[in-house]
Amino acid sequence: MAPGPMLDVHPPAGPPNGEPSTGQQKSQKAMTKAERRELQEKQRAAKAAKAAANGAPGKPSGKPKDQGAPQGGAAKPKPSRASDAQARPTLPAATRATEKAKAGQASMAVDTAAKGTQARGLLIFSHFGLPKPVSAAKGDIHPAIARLALQFSTFKITGANARCIATLTAFKTIIQDYVTPPNHTLSRHLMTYLSPQISHLVAARPMSVTMGNAIRQLKLDISGTDFDLPEQDAKDALCRKIDTYIRERIIIADQVIQETASNKIKDGDVILTYARSSVVEKVLLEAHASGRNFSVIVVDSRPMLEGKRLVAVLSEAGIQCTYLLLPALGAVMSEVSTVFVGAHSIHTNGAVYSRAGTALVAMMAKRHSVPVVVCCETYKFSESIQLDSFTKNELGQSLSAYSLLPSD
Amino acid sequence: MFELVQALNDGAEELKRRSPNPISLNAGCELFIAFVTLFPHESDNFAELKKELEQQGRKYAAEAISFRDKIAELTLGFIKDDSVILTHSYSRVVLKALLHAHKTKRISVYVTESRPRGLGLKTYEALTAAGIPCTVVLDSAVAYVMDRVDFVLVGSEAVVESGGLINYVGSNQMAIVAKAANKPFYALAESYKFHRLFPLSQYDLPTHNPNILSLTTPIARSAGQDAASSDAAQEATATSQTSRGISSSVTERAMTQEQIAKNPGVDYTRPDLISLVFSDVGILTPEGVSQYLVGMFAG
Repeated sequence: MAPGPMLDVHPPAGPPNGEPSTGQQKSQKAMTKAERRELQEKQRAAKAAKAAANGAPGKPSGKPKDQGAPQGGAAKPKPSRASDAQARPTLPAATRATEKAKAGQASMAVDTAAKGTQARGLLIFSHFGLPKPVSAAKGDIHPAIARLALQFSTFKITGANARCIATLTAFKTIIQDYVTPPNHTLSRHLMTYLSPQISHLVAARPMSVTMGNAIRQLKLDISGTDFDLPEQDAKDALCRKIDTYIRERIIIADQVIQETASNKIKDGDVILTYARSSVVEKVLLEAHASGRNFSVIVVDSRPMLEGKRLVAVLSEAGIQCTYLLLPALGAVMSEVSTVFVGAHSIHTNGAVYSRAGTALVAMMAKRHSVPVVVCCETYKFSESIQLDSFTKNELGQSLSAYSLLPSD
Repeated sequence: MFELVQALNDGAEELKRRSPNPISLNAGCELFIAFVTLFPHESDNFAELKKELEQQGRKYAAEAISFRDKIAELTLGFIKDDSVILTHSYSRVVLKALLHAHKTKRISVYVTESRPRGLGLKTYEALTAAGIPCTVVLDSAVAYVMDRVDFVLVGSEAVVESGGLINYVGSNQMAIVAKAANKPFYALAESYKFHRLFPLSQYDLPTHNPNILSLTTPIARSAGQDAASSDAAQEATATSQTSRGISSSVTERAMTQEQIAKNPGVDYTRPDLISLVFSDVGILTPEGVSQYLVGMFAG
């Protein structure tokens, strides 16, 4: 584990990094699992005592490295420091994780009580893989893709629609720059040329359902390109197809959604929305523009705090907004008329896949008999089925990318 | 084609304006307009197409009359001998189903009075004329009678996209009580009543206006004025009661027209309270209704 500054307060048992501690004769590798667990508990207890004496340490920085660094033996359960494990679930870890991840920093008392589960606390998200630093572009990665990958991995571009449009726009640039090598046809070779670009994007951040659907459509269009077309014509045709896809499946779809959804907003309504969905933003602006008198409650959550931008946009348009964080949701839900949320995708069983925290908002709304309206274009429909938020998800931005001071 | 649809839409609007309760009318109009646009036409010129559309329209109207018979036949399978059925207000399709069942089974029926229009009494008369034992129950006695009942059968103004039901006010109440008492709640609806509405709540219906359930600060009136208005109301009820053939020696108070106007005429029943929807396209679950609607209007 990469030690943070607070690691100086080490228990007498020794640093939990695989080196034989002063009290042990054998290396940790040689110990049985039970003995290792005992050692862990001892170390944790000592640390807890030490830390309680020194005051609760803050969240360690450089967290992502902690998750991944092995303990000198791949099979060993990671001895977690008290603060580690406690901070782990509070990490802005999973962008779309279960609500357990949203617990605030637990007090020391809770921590000692939950000692047994702390090792699990670290392992619990291990199946999401380690957050990888964006590797240097290998092979022929087009600069547009390299730039896009960086923007994805640093969460500069977020949101299903935004990512899809950005990806397709980058692909248009690539297609225009592409030159068919001799003895190859565009319809066969272009796809093999695009594949490493796509992999680079996926390495930066797992592909969204929207990107997947759009790329599938693009592949279909490419393979259907007329063999006899001169190259520039074929490229122009593909770019036109991409433009049509964006226009029809996203822009115009959003307009249709705007019209139908804004009809569900009546005068005097209190609309609640979560985080920032591009579609919901459009719906609210449309309803306001058509003269309806309503107010909006924007519920937001760390670490992305996307709702702030939504409040700025809505207030500028003249809509009365209230802003609050997710834990305060219960206080306002009884005043809400309708909840509008966006979606990353909708599964075949009707389940909605969206920003982490949306499930909480929906459950709270149900409890108060408030209708929940999901605004989602059809190109976001996914053929998969997910039964929980846990098995297939992705980790969000690591804390190290943020300063620990409250800021925008 | 667009102008034709425009003309149809205008005509439908006019019809809706004239009717006091436009929901089922709405449903029928939208269905026909959708049919016109989605109808595969191989005709070469407009005159032929027009004739074809007219023919189809008339055929549909003629068929529609037979829908109630189909529904009555489907309902028969769910009625056992000595069934006690609860129904609400007056519905031609329910009436047809009950009369059809009476030919081969022994049934008895409770029907709600269904204020303010009192249409339940119309049902009462029709059923007793046919020889079916029938009793009118107060709207407020639905929960009281529910344990005696085997199942509930209601008609519909419209069946909406969520699978829910729009019917005379009191149906939602009946459905909730039936659910609490674990009795099946069946809705009978012809397929032209399937509507693309999706109400998010009771107040999201097109029939809802701000006057309904409005609360106004009353102006303090003198006692004399009060008595005069209530007397007038009593007289109104007395005359209407005698005209209905019900004698009542007890002076009953009744709502004024103004007060009645603040009340809804229809309400919305959620799909999870409905057991089955019987229609001419078959016996559907509420989820099946939305699937059918999507299939219909998606072409």
